[in-house]
Amino acid sequence: MRRTVAIGIAGLLAAFLSLPKASGTIAASAPAPQAAAQPAGESPVDLPNREGSLKFGVLGDFGTGKRPQYDMGAQMAKAHERFPFELVITVGDNLYGSQGPRDFQTKFEEPYKALLSAGVKFYASLGNHDEREVQRNYKLFNMDGKLYYSFKAPKQNVRFFALDSTYPDPAERAWLEKELDGSNEGWKIPYFHHPLYSSGERHGSTPTLSTVWEPLFVKYGVSVVFSGHDHFYERTKPQKDIVYFVTGSGGQLRKGNIDRGTGLTSKGFDTDQAFLMAEIDRDELFFNAISRTGAVVDSGVIRRRKQE
Amino acid sequence: MAGTLFALAVNILLLAPTIGTPQGAAPAGGQKVNADARVMADFEARVKAYSDLHRKLEATLPNLPKETTPTQISEHQVALAQLIAHARSGAQFGDIFTKETRALFRRYLARVFVGPEGAKLKAVIMDENPGKLQLHVNARYPESVPVSTVPTQVLQTLPKLPEDLEYRFIGDRLVLHDIHADTIVDVIENAFPK
Repeated sequence: MRRTVAIGIAGLLAAFLSLPKASGTIAASAPAPQAAAQPAGESPVDLPNREGSLKFGVLGDFGTGKRPQYDMGAQMAKAHERFPFELVITVGDNLYGSQGPRDFQTKFEEPYKALLSAGVKFYASLGNHDEREVQRNYKLFNMDGKLYYSFKAPKQNVRFFALDSTYPDPAERAWLEKELDGSNEGWKIPYFHHPLYSSGERHGSTPTLSTVWEPLFVKYGVSVVFSGHDHFYERTKPQKDIVYFVTGSGGQLRKGNIDRGTGLTSKGFDTDQAFLMAEIDRDELFFNAISRTGAVVDSGVIRRRKQE
Repeated sequence: MAGTLFALAVNILLLAPTIGTPQGAAPAGGQKVNADARVMADFEARVKAYSDLHRKLEATLPNLPKETTPTQISEHQVALAQLIAHARSGAQFGDIFTKETRALFRRYLARVFVGPEGAKLKAVIMDENPGKLQLHVNARYPESVPVSTVPTQVLQTLPKLPEDLEYRFIGDRLVLHDIHADTIVDVIENAFPK
């Protein structure tokens, strides 16, 4: 089992995505699980933007209806012009505060109007601030009335698993194991709100959830997991060969909240909002974390690990 | 109907004394098992009676269309909540979580929250927990506040609920929440061990 991770150290003011670009722009690589840091000053790892690849976004903790969320929506639309991702997975806290009909417009439909108009589909998972009954039935979240579900990506050998981490009952775990076991896709990508691993001073890791779900992720060959809840961006060092992303600053932000002493962090960004763009082509997942100003704050490529 | 269900549950109880014992809650002593099982069967019968009422009333409402808007969902929720409130106009706290059930649940939860692992569970539940809020039977679940996480370890300990109901914590209170109607059905105060 090997994983290759290449990390881009972002120049904060660097323009991101000089696309289209030739494939194979990995700047550095190393055997798993160590991450090989790219020398300071080098360009971030570009998303190859290959034809036929799966391109998607990851967004969390965003539905505030406030200026930073709208800025992020604009930044995502700008990114989409150059990197046409076809779907966005959300890691919860899709709406904050009141969640009446008007709120779905001001906290979701308007900030992402350009993306929705371009046909980008959002596949939601729910966080602790989400009104579950309304959101799971809201057509633009594509949950089909379910609190947890899986779907095959429209391209590549990928299946996503949207999980409910606020009410992880034994039935969900049984369902998850059956789904993971029955999935023929090489990439099995779970996403949900509460992070198994996080360096957040405010929330941090969720050990009670790790006990229940992590053994399944390890057993069934999961390579990457996306979560939110802590309001910053973090990519962990591989934990049992799995890379965990915290993408909880899609609208919210808790400045300076990453505890650098946890030893978990491979790359963290907690000074501005961020979202993630990713591209899967066969056994590689390329990623760029983009800040509210459009800077690439983290980048790299993760090679899929094989199921044990 | 609730009486019939209760009688049925008691009959089943007599045939199978451990029915209703939740996963992870180790029974202690034959007599106690019987007593606990009786309380659990009573709880399950009361939950079933509530759930049957819920479904009967919900069936009188128009089905939500596949392409549902937030307005339609919200209207459906309010309509269902009103029907349930009308049908249960005399409902009080303790109707489902009876005195005996409350004592039993507190005992089960005390086992879950013991030691360092229990402290972790409690910390997860109290993370962005809505805290002290006024709660009323049949009233809407508090709006614009986060929901507590209910860890698997707790859910394994408590009896399984029908899909239209769930457990939540508000402060240190265990709440029975009607998901579709988004209302409070019953509450156990001081659910955490002291």
